[in-house]
Amino acid sequence: MSDALTAVLDWVAVLCLLAGAMLSFVASVGLIRFPDLLSRMHTAAKPQVLGLLLVLVGIGLRLLPEETGIFTVGTLAVVGLFQVITVPVAAHIAARVGYRTGRIDEDLLVADELFDRLESEDRATGTRRYRASE
Amino acid sequence: MTRPPATRPERVQALRRRLGKVQIPIALGMTVVWMLLFDGFRLREESLGLLVLGFGVSVLIMVVFPLPPVSEGFRFHPWQFLRLLVYFFVQMVQSSFQVTWQTFTPGPVLSSVIAVRMRTDSELMLVCTSIALSVIPGSVVVEVGQPEHVLYIHHLGTRDEAGTERARRDTWRLEERIVRALGTRVDIAKLEAAETVGTESA
Repeated sequence: MSDALTAVLDWVAVLCLLAGAMLSFVASVGLIRFPDLLSRMHTAAKPQVLGLLLVLVGIGLRLLPEETGIFTVGTLAVVGLFQVITVPVAAHIAARVGYRTGRIDEDLLVADELFDRLESEDRATGTRRYRASE
Repeated sequence: MTRPPATRPERVQALRRRLGKVQIPIALGMTVVWMLLFDGFRLREESLGLLVLGFGVSVLIMVVFPLPPVSEGFRFHPWQFLRLLVYFFVQMVQSSFQVTWQTFTPGPVLSSVIAVRMRTDSELMLVCTSIALSVIPGSVVVEVGQPEHVLYIHHLGTRDEAGTERARRDTWRLEERIVRALGTRVDIAKLEAAETVGTESA
């Protein structure tokens, strides 16, 4: 591989790594800044995914010119794949539990179309599980 | 019915039944992951052995832990899948910037929980849509309304009625992309039928 191409790849890799790190930084700022659980989920779970993917691409580009033999682009692809598949599951469970146990700030919600459904479910079963804060 | 046969044939039959439950496409997918993990795609002497071993392990896993089949199955449309990937990445980058913007602008950020009814009955499409929604920043699936396939989505940064409507349309567009890329013919037909009804009522 020519030197010029290696240099270009290096720079692209550096940019990817930097952008990925920035996105992860934004995620951590969002964690502190947002007031309630559901909003925090957005930053905790998301820019991070794109950030991680960018970091992986950056590492992959750095790996292309040299053979390390320890891990390769294939390994990185597996890391990315499983991250994309598993993050939604964790996010969904946390969001669901948070909602059902009343850990949300209703003043920040413009519309809440789930509330009616859960309420009618409550009436049907005769229980009162949701909105513990009320 | 006569008495149950002796133990040995019974075992063979049970094994055969379990082998019948092995789903070849999923086994192939597991083999690909195996190859990626062991760097099997770089050609060397043991590559073929890795391939055979990987497939063997996948089949063994599915024999020991049998799972119900993926319900209605799916159909892979390469061109539409490419469009889905492009759409997905554009959405992801766009919403990442949006969330970044919302993070650094002062003042409270409003959000909403909206109900979006899926237009196809396929469970697989529902799962794919919710995974994609969860990976794209700005939306989290809070609850899935089971019998009627409704997704309840928490959407960040929707300030008013127009915002929630936009979020709903975005979700439908994502669903459409996914169904067109991976849906069976029945799913696509249902989607198109629902779309014509939707435009008439709107």
